[in-house]
Amino acid sequence: MAKRTSVLQVTGLKKAFGPVVIVDGFNLEIRAGEAIALTGRNGAGKSTVLRCVVGAERPDEGTVTVNGVPVSETNPVVRREVATVIDDLDFFPDLSVVEHLDLLARAHGLPDAEAAVDEVLHEVQLVPQSGQLPATLSSGQRRRLALATAFVRPRSLLILDEPEQRLDTEGVQWLAERLRAERARGLAILMASHEPALVQAVATREVRLAGAELVTAAADDEE
Amino acid sequence: MSKKSRKLINAASASPAVPVTEPEPVAEPPREFYFVPDTEPVEVDEKELHDQIKLWRHGRATRTLWEVIQDGYVAVFSVIVLGAMLGNVLVQAQSGAASCTTDECSLARLMMPTAMVLASLTLTLAVARLFGPILASAAEGFWLMDAPLRRRRLLRGRLLLPVVIAGVVAAAVTALVAALSGMDPISVALWTAAAGIGSSALMALAGAEQGIERTTGVRSMLWLFGLATLVVLLVVVSVAAGWIPVALGSSVEAARWIVAAVLVLSVVGLVIWLGLALRRLEQIRRARLLSGGSLVAGMQGAMFALDFGLIRDILVEREAAARGHVRPVRGRGLGIWALVWRDLQRLARFPKPWIGLAVSLVVPYAADALRMSQLNPLVSGLALFIALVPFLGSLRVLTRTGGMARSLPFKTTSIRTAAMVVPAGLALIWAVLVTPAFIGIAQTGADRVLTDGLMAALVTGIAGLFGAVRWVTAKRPDFGVPMMATPGGAMPPTLVFNLFRGIDVVAVVTAPLILGAPASWSLGIAAVIFVLLRGTFNMDELKAEQESLQRQRSDTREKIKVTRPAR
Repeated sequence: MAKRTSVLQVTGLKKAFGPVVIVDGFNLEIRAGEAIALTGRNGAGKSTVLRCVVGAERPDEGTVTVNGVPVSETNPVVRREVATVIDDLDFFPDLSVVEHLDLLARAHGLPDAEAAVDEVLHEVQLVPQSGQLPATLSSGQRRRLALATAFVRPRSLLILDEPEQRLDTEGVQWLAERLRAERARGLAILMASHEPALVQAVATREVRLAGAELVTAAADDEE
Repeated sequence: MSKKSRKLINAASASPAVPVTEPEPVAEPPREFYFVPDTEPVEVDEKELHDQIKLWRHGRATRTLWEVIQDGYVAVFSVIVLGAMLGNVLVQAQSGAASCTTDECSLARLMMPTAMVLASLTLTLAVARLFGPILASAAEGFWLMDAPLRRRRLLRGRLLLPVVIAGVVAAAVTALVAALSGMDPISVALWTAAAGIGSSALMALAGAEQGIERTTGVRSMLWLFGLATLVVLLVVVSVAAGWIPVALGSSVEAARWIVAAVLVLSVVGLVIWLGLALRRLEQIRRARLLSGGSLVAGMQGAMFALDFGLIRDILVEREAAARGHVRPVRGRGLGIWALVWRDLQRLARFPKPWIGLAVSLVVPYAADALRMSQLNPLVSGLALFIALVPFLGSLRVLTRTGGMARSLPFKTTSIRTAAMVVPAGLALIWAVLVTPAFIGIAQTGADRVLTDGLMAALVTGIAGLFGAVRWVTAKRPDFGVPMMATPGGAMPPTLVFNLFRGIDVVAVVTAPLILGAPASWSLGIAAVIFVLLRGTFNMDELKAEQESLQRQRSDTREKIKVTRPAR
C-alpha cells in the first residue's frame, strides 16, 4: 500500500501564557485520511494546540506546517487548505445563514456555489433558517452553521474544537458519520473532543493531553 | 439434549448449594425537607425593599464620595478650568453676536437654538427607543420581578429618572447654544424650557408606549423631529449662502410665539403621557425591562474599556436580532469579488446608514456658510468618518477576531482592500457632491478654483474614509501589556489611544490643507496611511514570518551539520 502523504506536521510545539506552560515539546503528524482526536481534561491544552496549529496563536517554540507550508494565520495557502471550526468564528450580523455559505463557496471559487450551498444547508438541517440572521439562531443552530462553513469549501485538513458542543444527540451522530465520510475521502482531521462516542467513531488515533505533558498517543483504529 | 449436557446439569444439581444470604436493607440517612409554612405571607412594602437593596449596595462601597473627589482632583480642577473657559467664551460670543446686526446674523441667532431644540427632541426619542426607557438589571428582573410586588411602586423611580435626566440635559445644552448665539435672556429661557419640558414629555410618551409594547408614536415622532432638524439646518446654510433671500421682519416675534405654543403643548403632553406611563407600569412585561438593562450593562462594560467598537457591535447585534429575518439573495462573482458584491448588497438591505451619509453632505456647506472654511476639511472629514462607519460592517467582522478571515483564501491585505471598495466609492461620490462647498458658496467662505476645490473635497473624503477604517479595525484593549499610571488608575496604553482612534487620521490627513499647504501633501500622507491600514506592515504578521524563517534556518543548519568521525 502506498504511503499516505503527510498533511500536518507539528514539531516541538511549546506554548506558555506567562509562567504557565500549556504545552511543551508536542509533536504530531497527520497523514491524509487520518483523524486524530485530542482529549484531556479542561485546561489540558487541547484548544491551545489547535489555535497554534491554525495560526491563531503564535507558538513559543516549534514549527507547524500544512502540506509543507509553515502555518501563519494570514498565509492564503494555509487558509485555502485548512477549514477550521474553533471558538472565534465570527458571523456577519447582516448576512443570513444561506448568504454566509454562499459567500464562502464563492470566495473559494466554487463554480457551482449554489448547488454546494443547497447540499450543505440540507445536511446541517438549516433550510428553514436559511433567511435568518445569525443573532436569532439558537446556540445549536449557530454550531451547525459553523460546521457548515467548514464543509461548504474545499479543504485538505479539518480542524475542529469540540465540534459536538451544543449539538443534540442526533446532531452528534450526524457529525460522526460526516467526519468518517471526510476521512474516507482522504481528508485529514484534527479535533479536540470531550465526547467519547465521537472520538471512538471518528478517530484513528487518540492523543491524550495532561497539562504540559503528553500522556498517551495510542494507535487504536480498526484500519 | 446431548449426553455431555445432561452430565453437566446433573453434576451442577448434585453440588452443594451456595449459601445465599438475604441482603440487609441499607439504613437510609434521615432526610429532612423544608417547606414554606402555610401561613399567609406578610405584605411587603416595595419602598422598604428598595431601600434595603440600596443599603446593601452602599455597604459594598469601599470609598466615600469625598474620597473619590479627593482622588479625582485632576478631574475637578479640569472642570473648574473648563467652566471658566466656557464662561469666557459665552461672554465673548454674546458681545460678538450683538455687534452683528445683519439679517443673516439675526436668522442664525434664531435658527441655531431652534435646531438645537429639535435635535434634543430627536435624540431623546432615539435614546428612549433604544433603552426602553424604563429598564431593570438582570438581577432585579430575577429577584424582584418574580415576587408578588406592585411593579408600579417598584418602577416609579425608574420612569421618573429618565424623564428628569432628559429634561435637564436637553435644557442645559439648548441654553448653552442659545446663549452662545447671542439671544436675549427671555428667548434663552423660552427655548430652554421648550427643549427641557419637550424632551421630558417625549421620554414620558416612550414610557407610556413601553407599557403596552408599542413604538408607533415614538417612531413617527422620531422621523418628524429628525427631518425638522435637517430642514432647519438647511435653511441656516441656504440663508448664509445667499440662496434664500432674508426678510426677517416680524419673524423673531412670530418664532417666540411658536416656541411658547410648543412649550404649552409640551407641558400638556408631559402631564398626560406621564400619567399614562405611571398607570401602565403595573402591566409592563419583565422581558421589556430586562432588554434595556442588559444593553446598559453590556455598554457599561465596553465603556470601562473605552471599546467604542464593541458598543457599536452590541447595538448592531441588537438591531439584527430585532430584524431577525431577511430575504436571502444569491451572491455574484467568484473570489474576492464575492466579498465586494455582498457589501454592495448591504447598501440596499440596510438603508438606515444612508441617512447619516445624507446629513454629512450638509456639513461642508454649513461649515463654509458659517465662516469655518479654514477648518472645513477637518470638520467635514470628521462628519464623513462618523457617517461611513456603518458601511464598514464587513471589515469590522473580518478584523475583529480573525475567525471569518481565516475561512477566506486571501491575504489580509486583499481582504481589507476588498472591504474598503464600496465605502471608498461612497466617499468618492460624497467628495464630488460637496465640491461646491470647498470652492466656496458664501461670499465670506472659501475662495478656490474648481480643481483646488475638487482636490480639497477629495482629500476630505479620503480622510473621512481612512478615519472610519482605523476606527473600525481597532483591536480590543490588551490588559496583558505593561500598564500606564494615570490619575484614574493603571490602564493599558492602547486604552488611551482608543479615545482618539480615527480622529487622529482625519486630523493628520487634513492638516496640510488647514495649514495652507498644497493638497498633494495630504494625498502623500493618505497614501502612507493606506499602506498601514490595509495591513501591509502588520507587525504581528511580520514578526511571525521572521520567527518562522529563523526556525527553518536553524533546522536546516542542524540537518547539514557534519560530525567528524572520532580518530
